[in-house]
Amino acid sequence: MRKVTIRGLLARKLRLALTALAIVLGVMFVTGTLVLGDTLNRTFDALVGTAYGKISFEIRGTAAFSKASAYSGTDRNPIPAALATAVSRLPGVAYVHGDVSGYAQFVDRQGSAIGSGTGNTLGLSFDPNRQLSSYRLVEGRAPTAPDNVVMDKATATKHHFAIGDRVRVLLPGGARTFTISGIVTFGGDDNLLGITLAGFDQRTAQALFGLRRHYDTIEVLAAPRADSVRLRLAIEKLLPRGVEVVSGRTVINEATSAISNALSFISTTLLIFALISLFIGGFTIFNTFTITIGQRTRELALLRVVGANRRQVFGSVLGEAALTGLLASLIGLGLGVVAALGLKALLKAFGVLLPSAPLVFEARTPAVALAMGVGVTVLSAVLPARRAVRIAPVAALADHTQDGPQSLRRRRVSAGSAVAIAGLGALLAGLTEASILVVGIGALALFVAGGMLVPLVARPLSSALGRPLAALLGAPGRLGRRNSTRNPMRTAQTGAALMIGLALVSMIAVLGNSLATSAKHNVDSAVAADYLVTGSDAFSSSVPAIISRLPGAVATTTVYKGQFEFRGSLSTIAAASVAGLPKTVNLHLTAGRGAPTMAAGQLLVDQNTANTNHLHVGSVVAVKFAQTGEATMRIGGIYAYNPLVGSFITGTGFFLSHFNNPLPNAVLVSTASGTRGFETTLNRALAAYPNLNIQSRAQFEQAQQNSINQLLGLIYVLLALAVLIALIGIVNTLLLSVFERTREIGLLRAVGMRRRQVREMIRSESVIVAVFGAVIGIVVGTGLGAAAASSLRHSSVTTVAIPVPSLIAFLILAAVLGLIAATWPARRAANLDVLRAIATE
Amino acid sequence: MIKRLSPLASHPRYWLSGSPRGLGGGARQVGPVTYGERRRSSCAARAVEVTKIYGSGETAVRAVDGVSIEFERARFTAVMGPSGSGKSTLMHCMAGLDAPTSGHTFIGDEELGLLNDTRLTDLRRDRIGFVFQSFNLVPTLTAAENITLPADLVGSTVDRDWLNYLVSNLGIADRLSHRPSELSGGQQQRVACARALVRRPELIFADEPTGNLDSNASTGVLTFLRQAVRDHGHAVVMVTHDPKAAAYAERVVFLADGRIVGELLAPTSDAVLEQMKRLGA
Ligand SMILES: Nc1ncnc2c1ncn2[C@@H]1O[C@H](COP(=O)(O)OP(=O)(O)OP(=O)(O)O)[C@@H](O)[C@H]1O
Ligand SMILES: [Mg+2]
Repeated sequence: MRKVTIRGLLARKLRLALTALAIVLGVMFVTGTLVLGDTLNRTFDALVGTAYGKISFEIRGTAAFSKASAYSGTDRNPIPAALATAVSRLPGVAYVHGDVSGYAQFVDRQGSAIGSGTGNTLGLSFDPNRQLSSYRLVEGRAPTAPDNVVMDKATATKHHFAIGDRVRVLLPGGARTFTISGIVTFGGDDNLLGITLAGFDQRTAQALFGLRRHYDTIEVLAAPRADSVRLRLAIEKLLPRGVEVVSGRTVINEATSAISNALSFISTTLLIFALISLFIGGFTIFNTFTITIGQRTRELALLRVVGANRRQVFGSVLGEAALTGLLASLIGLGLGVVAALGLKALLKAFGVLLPSAPLVFEARTPAVALAMGVGVTVLSAVLPARRAVRIAPVAALADHTQDGPQSLRRRRVSAGSAVAIAGLGALLAGLTEASILVVGIGALALFVAGGMLVPLVARPLSSALGRPLAALLGAPGRLGRRNSTRNPMRTAQTGAALMIGLALVSMIAVLGNSLATSAKHNVDSAVAADYLVTGSDAFSSSVPAIISRLPGAVATTTVYKGQFEFRGSLSTIAAASVAGLPKTVNLHLTAGRGAPTMAAGQLLVDQNTANTNHLHVGSVVAVKFAQTGEATMRIGGIYAYNPLVGSFITGTGFFLSHFNNPLPNAVLVSTASGTRGFETTLNRALAAYPNLNIQSRAQFEQAQQNSINQLLGLIYVLLALAVLIALIGIVNTLLLSVFERTREIGLLRAVGMRRRQVREMIRSESVIVAVFGAVIGIVVGTGLGAAAASSLRHSSVTTVAIPVPSLIAFLILAAVLGLIAATWPARRAANLDVLRAIATE
Repeated sequence: MIKRLSPLASHPRYWLSGSPRGLGGGARQVGPVTYGERRRSSCAARAVEVTKIYGSGETAVRAVDGVSIEFERARFTAVMGPSGSGKSTLMHCMAGLDAPTSGHTFIGDEELGLLNDTRLTDLRRDRIGFVFQSFNLVPTLTAAENITLPADLVGSTVDRDWLNYLVSNLGIADRLSHRPSELSGGQQQRVACARALVRRPELIFADEPTGNLDSNASTGVLTFLRQAVRDHGHAVVMVTHDPKAAAYAERVVFLADGRIVGELLAPTSDAVLEQMKRLGA
């Protein structure tokens, strides 16, 4: 029996190759994801090791928030500098450095800020002592004077700065010019992950970052043979309340786990898309095996006649699947390394910052990849194998090979509906519980149900879709249309793969479009200001004053944002100056009052928060701030959700008294009506702050939409592979059909069908199948997308907007892809030798 | 009326001079030629020194070995011979379904070897009709659609009267909306006959059209083919093993080992049987 299996495989090399291709791609994606994840983890671990490896102890403020993100550091208070002196006097302490860090962004020679922002600039107190610091001076001297700065080598090289050059640096308090005293590297790298570094001497750093006589942390290096337990106890004795000491190990572990949390989000997301690809690959395999078993009915029946039992037939089919899966998985594993590089390049192109490092290949990777590849293949072949088992020995004598069981209809409908209902239930449960796993299972079940139910509509729908083709192409189009309806099961299953792909694409499109449209709508209704000044992060606190002095500026509102604990959960609170507020922000109050209560230090919350927490005007809630600790706030008003503000807002006065030197987050400006050229005035006035983003309201809206569209772009690229695999499925089915219809094609050629017409016939069928899958996919996806969007109604989605032009574009794309998929099968069919085709049994 | 062929007989000139109509009693009355004056040549198809070799070296098979033959217009010719004698191969070469290894084949005045695939396809579609032993019909098309397929392929319409005449004459008028799988073997062959004739081709090639049919069904098909020749002037070339079927023809050509070994005009089934015995088939 094994011989039969292997002979069978060899006889169907081409089919095997195509089936395998779907799995190869899926496994490749999975492997690539795993390898990329491991590589990133390993490199980040190495970076953390370089950064903190030498520290024996770190002294720092205790975390104020229980659930604060592990290593954000924003919720830790600075510690008195005197503590460093005291610790350095302890026996067993070799070296102590007080660390100060903050916002510092270089300006290049053309006057533009270096680094796109969002956390890729760093200013700190440069520690010249090589024992502790991970930064290394490779040129020049450490900063000693207040106007000295050291620059990372990558920035210096890229922007042509050298020792002695003057460089402008943007700082919390405004821009200042420094002299470059030295060039540094991070460990062996030119900088840390592309983050620019500005290092100042300690006292200067303290002044620049508003930490007079304080440090953010104190790092301690123990003497070589010091007893670390005793030393730790000794340090602890010196610490005032709210300050803690942790071992270097703890620091590393915290940093590592914070990073791997962030990374696992990336890996998980990628893995989900990889699994989608594999799932669609499974459909292709299922389809191929179903068709080949239909075609091999006689052969399998003959095996039964000569004495093979049911188990052997079952084993033969599954064995074929397992071998195919294994082979494909091995190839996919190899190509996965390439995929890892590709994925990394992709993430980079979409703005995710990643270190460059050699790829890491963990032992788990091949195990998981092989298990998944073989598992999916074998699972997909189980149903076809069961059908093979049911072939009666008499089928060997039958003249006609049946096209497939038609009587399954009722069972199929009930089973399909059951799965659909279960899936829908899971989906709804998942959406209310916000559990991505349950949502995923629900969606999966829905797709399987879709695969089971679509055969019912396959015949009428593909017939309808084929009508224009038949009218356009005449006889070949008509024949293609007939072929697409002759075996609805096959059409449906082939289309189903594309259906899933396009359902996901359309779902994302609908969701994304709703988000983008809502964003525009939200900005429209939330912002009254004509101009918005934002930074890539926070920006200098001198900016608001400059803007408010400009002629034409009628109202200026400075917005701050910070973290606080609201009833025990970490949230973001905004603060705005009350004076110009009505002219810059549209706060649609549903209860209470705005400006006066804010000025009085009361809290305004949005409608949702009020509803879920049962809050009314006048309620008193417990809050907690990192710097000042626990407090209570009175609810002064309730407003409709405002994307600019968020869920919590209070007055600036209150905010400033609870945060240490906060930096402004945005400045909103309203101009007198009829003011001309204010944008130019604004730009000129803020020329010294190249990190600022000055946008009119329209530009701001556009930017909101752009960031959503960029994310959509990334998701589309990731889904493209799934669609590609679905296309391979179409190619596969068409080829199998061409084989199956060899005689028929020969006959058509004999009675006068031209090669071109043969190609047209195959292409018509392909386009019909593709469009069939696409139509159902787009309808299902639009439904899912609309459901998902409306489930977000309470937060960011205000309108569910169906992107009709995009959906039509998907449909056209599907038709074009169908044409492409038909290329090879059509050529094969057209080049069939007429005589040989007629003679084929 | 049995005539052993001398080697000379296979020369084309012999056939030109030996026009069937000139042979008197053997020839039957033929109807008017309805396909107009497209062709000037008196024969519908012609082969000159056609050889077809399958394979090469040790295993080479001379399926057709230097055959020259003409099939006249408006004549019903049967081709007979033992299994493996090259009947189908010769027919395929002459119909432009296969290319001979050497020699020339003509349909009318058109030399097939000079045509590219598209023109050859068009010629098959427009000037030749086919009936095969089995699998004659496209399973997705109804009987009616199968019949009009050659016309549909060029986008032309069929002559309704002619079509009605064909289907009523073949007795399949009430089966036109059925799929091939819903038709009996005899009905399928009759549909194939209708398709072969629907565009009024000059020539119809039929390879064992009655091979799978019982005698009743065979009679139907054969009578129809004879009628096509007599009443409408089509030329029919039919490969068959059945002496009774061959008796419907006006001329029988015998093949053995790829060569023409005999010929019979105005055959009866007994004469055919006798000839076959003599040829050792
Ligand atoms: N494709 C092929 N490859 C090799 N040899 C072939 C091929 N087709 C036919 N032959 C050989 O050519 C010879 C003639 O075959 P052909 O099919 O023409 O015979 P036939 O007279 O039609 O026989 P039958 O009455 O059995 O149909 C046979 O010996 C056959 O084996
Ligand atoms: Mg034959």
